[in-house]
Amino acid sequence: MPDWLAQLLVTLLKAVLVALALLTTFAYMTLIERRLLARMQIRIGPNRVGPMGLLQPLADAIKSIFKEDLSVTLADKLVYTLAPIVAIGMALTAFGGIPAGPPRSLFGADPWVYNLDAGILVLLALTSMGVYGIFLGGWASGSKYPILGGLRSSAQMISYELGMGLSILGLLMLVGSTSFRAIVEWQALNGWLILFQVLGFALFLVSSFAETNRTPFDLPEAEQELVAGYLTEYSAIKWALFQMAEYVNMITASAVMSTLFFGGYRGPVFLDALIPGISGWPIVWLVVKIAFFLFLFIWVRATLPRLRYDQLMRFGWKLVLPVALLNTLMTAAYLAFARGTGLWLLGLLSLGGLLLLFVLSDRVRGLWNTPTQRRDREAAAVRTSGGD
Amino acid sequence: MIAFILLGALTLVGAVITVAARNAVHAALGLVGTLLSVAGLFASLSASFLAATQVIVYAGAIMVLFLFVIMLLNANAPVRGRDPVPFVRELAGIGGVVLAGAFAVLAFTYKDPRPLAEGVAATRGGGAGPVGEVLLTRFLLPFEAVSILLLVAIVGAVALVNRPAPQPDGVADTGGLTLPTSPDLQSEALLPEKVRA
Repeated sequence: MPDWLAQLLVTLLKAVLVALALLTTFAYMTLIERRLLARMQIRIGPNRVGPMGLLQPLADAIKSIFKEDLSVTLADKLVYTLAPIVAIGMALTAFGGIPAGPPRSLFGADPWVYNLDAGILVLLALTSMGVYGIFLGGWASGSKYPILGGLRSSAQMISYELGMGLSILGLLMLVGSTSFRAIVEWQALNGWLILFQVLGFALFLVSSFAETNRTPFDLPEAEQELVAGYLTEYSAIKWALFQMAEYVNMITASAVMSTLFFGGYRGPVFLDALIPGISGWPIVWLVVKIAFFLFLFIWVRATLPRLRYDQLMRFGWKLVLPVALLNTLMTAAYLAFARGTGLWLLGLLSLGGLLLLFVLSDRVRGLWNTPTQRRDREAAAVRTSGGD
Repeated sequence: MIAFILLGALTLVGAVITVAARNAVHAALGLVGTLLSVAGLFASLSASFLAATQVIVYAGAIMVLFLFVIMLLNANAPVRGRDPVPFVRELAGIGGVVLAGAFAVLAFTYKDPRPLAEGVAATRGGGAGPVGEVLLTRFLLPFEAVSILLLVAIVGAVALVNRPAPQPDGVADTGGLTLPTSPDLQSEALLPEKVRA
């Protein structure tokens, strides 16, 4: 077998394995989410199918595959079918670039599907293509609620993409590379980047929630206003594909946050004293960190109410974007003038910035809450002047 | 080489769809295909940074805004009947011929500004570094001029949409984003072409 064929086959095998792993995680993620949400809301949750409800995802899968695949008369057939495929395709592809271990650590193979120097940029590009799935799905349904959901999602995702990209710019300048592996190795040398970029991490976390359309930013499918947003006219397997895309995007976002800010595939070095080489084990550490962030996603969903649409846009443009710019400027200033003092200075500055935001949160809130206050004032003025 | 031919063909197909499609949304999607194929061409020339930027900026942001406007402005109705611009076909034909002639001249008189190997060495793996270096040294003036141009455009756009009077009571400010409220848009704008045909 020629060398290139072997490489191609290995890569294909890895791609299929990653896709299967992601989809299995998606299936069980739905169960875990329902159980956890139930626990947080003092309910029991699905526990009837199999022991502890463990076969529930299987039942759901069978149901959504064999359900009737309704298609809407007014739908634009081609785009209507293409939209869920685009969504899930981009979501699955985006995950492939994330390294799950050091080179050659997975039975002699590299634990990633593809490795590009522009790693994080390619990932941002692929997730930005994922918008098309939701957007076109909403349009092609030929119905009003879906198109409103689709419009909302496109505006939201474009707005937060900017904040997302800018919030990691400081980090990329610090590391001097856009490749995931270089970022992880830098952290192995200098410590986790969350220590030096905590402000950037906070912004990135918020933007990730917005990019994956999760509560409190799940405006595109806000049930109370839009039925199910872009999902309204979808049923059976197409609907399941959209759900898959959302959860796979969540997993990818978790993996990106782990890789960029929490040391990626490397575990804590002090454990090496107990079991030699454990910090270099492939997959294990990344999975642990991903699981933490997935729990965070569920936790936030159980905790926070949804934002109003104008609050969402204001929050993105008036808070996330400028603060991300400031963070970039701060890091640039550090790199230009204070490189010799050590990284702790940057860590302190970053932490100080975040704390300042918290301290000033009452004033900062005015940035995205103005319309309500103004409306309330105007309503009060009308009342006092004897209007309706 | 095979990748280049395939991507080139895809680029052309996307471009033809862009021009030929009756539905504006389909045309925009054709343009997305073209932009993605161009990104693929960049990537096959080992300019991965350019490729990623092309996808993020053009396919990911600008085209989404295009589609956004098409859907909001009820422009996705299929085009029929006579074009309102006089002599548009003739003018387009002349323009196409001139452009094809220019490209032919280019193609037959083209000389590499530098040998291919040197160019590959200059891109240094296609990362952000070499691009930024060239932009901020050799092409600093055009780079800054473009940023000023964009700034002017933003200021102009804000000045155009700035509403002088405060909102009437009960109408939430949508933050510069106008949701479809006009009656004609709600009635039949959202239906794809087949239904009305």
